[in-house]
Amino acid sequence: MLAYLILSGITTGALYALIALGITILFKAAGTVNFAHGELFMMGGFLAYTFVTLLGLPYLLALALAIAGAFVFGIITDRIAFRPLIGSRALGVVLATVGFAFILRGTARILWGGKGDYLSLPPLFAPDPIIWGPLIILPQQLVVIGGTAIVLALFAAFFRLTRLGKMMQATADNAKAARLVGIRIEHIYTLAFGIGAAVAAISAVLMAPLTLLYTDMGFALFVKGFAAAALGGLKSLPGAVIGGLLVGLIESLAAGYIASSFLDISAFVVIMVVLIFCPSGLLGGPAARRV
Amino acid sequence: MPTNLGRFYAATLVIALAILAPPAVAQSTPGVTKDAVVVGGFGPLTGPSYLYGKLFFNGIDVVFDKINAEGGINGRKLVLIREDDRCDPASAIAAVKKLLEQDQVFSISGGGCSNSAIAARQEIEQSGAPWIASGVHDGITRPIAPNIFSVSLTSSIESAAEIAYVQKHGFKRVAIVAMHDSWGRSRYEPLLAMLKDKGITPVADEEVAPDANDSTPQVLRLKQVNPDAIIMLLFPKPGAVFARDAAKLAFKPVLIGQTSISDPVAFEEQVGMPGATANFVTITQVRYMPDSPEVADWSRAVEAKFPGDRLSVYNLNGIGHAQVLAEALRRSGPDLTREKFIAAMDTLRDFHDDTHGGGITCTKEENRCNKTAVWIHKEPGGTVKIVDTTTVE
Repeated sequence: MLAYLILSGITTGALYALIALGITILFKAAGTVNFAHGELFMMGGFLAYTFVTLLGLPYLLALALAIAGAFVFGIITDRIAFRPLIGSRALGVVLATVGFAFILRGTARILWGGKGDYLSLPPLFAPDPIIWGPLIILPQQLVVIGGTAIVLALFAAFFRLTRLGKMMQATADNAKAARLVGIRIEHIYTLAFGIGAAVAAISAVLMAPLTLLYTDMGFALFVKGFAAAALGGLKSLPGAVIGGLLVGLIESLAAGYIASSFLDISAFVVIMVVLIFCPSGLLGGPAARRV
Repeated sequence: MPTNLGRFYAATLVIALAILAPPAVAQSTPGVTKDAVVVGGFGPLTGPSYLYGKLFFNGIDVVFDKINAEGGINGRKLVLIREDDRCDPASAIAAVKKLLEQDQVFSISGGGCSNSAIAARQEIEQSGAPWIASGVHDGITRPIAPNIFSVSLTSSIESAAEIAYVQKHGFKRVAIVAMHDSWGRSRYEPLLAMLKDKGITPVADEEVAPDANDSTPQVLRLKQVNPDAIIMLLFPKPGAVFARDAAKLAFKPVLIGQTSISDPVAFEEQVGMPGATANFVTITQVRYMPDSPEVADWSRAVEAKFPGDRLSVYNLNGIGHAQVLAEALRRSGPDLTREKFIAAMDTLRDFHDDTHGGGITCTKEENRCNKTAVWIHKEPGGTVKIVDTTTVE
């Protein structure tokens, strides 16, 4: 039982980790949380469904187009809900992204609302379970776990090794200083919104064969992803992944060993306890101190 | 002169009466004119629950078209005005207010999302407009109000049907897996009470959230107590996740569904794992499947009016609903009022429309007019078949 619960927790946790990763990337670069992130996840999934199922495009091409489409939606989010409000109070940006989330959800309802109540996206591999020692695993579970690891590795390399990644880091650390050395921080913000949305789309296409697609799916997943990001420290990419995996594992183990009704609340209880003792999250570094 | 004056007074009196007292029906009954009856419909037209609204109303529309082509009812054409409540209680209240106050409809149909329908109930009850509800929560029909009826299976009737199925098929070890939101509790609580009355103790009772993405812990817990049947009080999404995870872990009890999962073809696709729905049976409100020859005419009508749609059980539900509504309008006679319509509803005894599983009977004491559950099953790769019928007393 323990092995199954851990595997199930890691799979669900990988989904939360990817959502948290998108939230963290944007927060690192622009210092804001995009409350439309869950809806960008949903749009990514529906774009994949459109390309794969409705238009019959080759699977990998369809997924690439869905991720590119979500990247564009991220840029639109920046232009509509963030760029005009740079310099204004944080609450204004939050409300703007909340409003944009409703626009995206309404648009999705119009475009895909009549195709079925819960739509299925075909998995990348045949859905027959794989027997691995004492475990029975769905191939898509391995795709999710492997995909998450690859995405994390790519972003770690992007931030450490590329000039663009270093410019994003510099903007996140000190936007004024970054501007003084010639970085066009508005472009960095736009890129961060786009990359965050693209990561949301990656998580959607990986998970949709397991979770099904529906137009109202975004917010609940955003809450879990945001909780994971907060647990990890909100500015740390490894923290986002660790936070996501922990949330998934806690949910699974609590539901398996205590009661199934504990599934949704257990992770939040643990997060509250962690944040009481460690307000910056697990890998958020020490809290800023006024001197 | 006196004669002319008398004629003048008489003519004036006639004109005044004509102005002040037009036909009583047209003036006093909202939504009724000499040549039309306007019915208001509210329910989810968009979003994942559109099946219970949009498709349901599409079914009503094709019945209205057929009746109107035949001259209407008592010379009046039937008109349906739809409002989208998006399964949102606040939107449902706004939709109902618009229908009653702005559109001045004669009666209300629908309310396919229970939470929204319950929220809108007070407005409708106070208006006195007849409401034939399509939501399943018992809170829509209880406490009894003279103007509220349901021709859908309500949650407690479905729970009773599930227990009857369990007993009929001799399942000894029964477990429950349920959502504990308002919809789930409307089924879960009467189910527990009825099981207790029958002396049946569930061997396990697990919760799955409406937006669950994984139910491995629940499946593992259930597997430990080895039930031979599981009553699933779940929406299609958590239901599909549960069926998939059960199959993944080679756990194969009989899975007993209910009307929220009444399209086994769609459900099999949602589960997405070969053979995972082999032991799944569920309830539908209608006695035919969309591909049954008995409903071929309705299938053609739906496809002609709504290009791209294929007939579904939700259309069939709307078709039966509209035929009950039409029958009560016929029985109300030409001088249609809401009071006469409500009285006519109370005369329905074992009325058989084209689709519902059994006869429709409404009385002043029992406004839940449909008590026949039809059990369906789909062999993997096969067609959907009716396997049983349960009429709850």
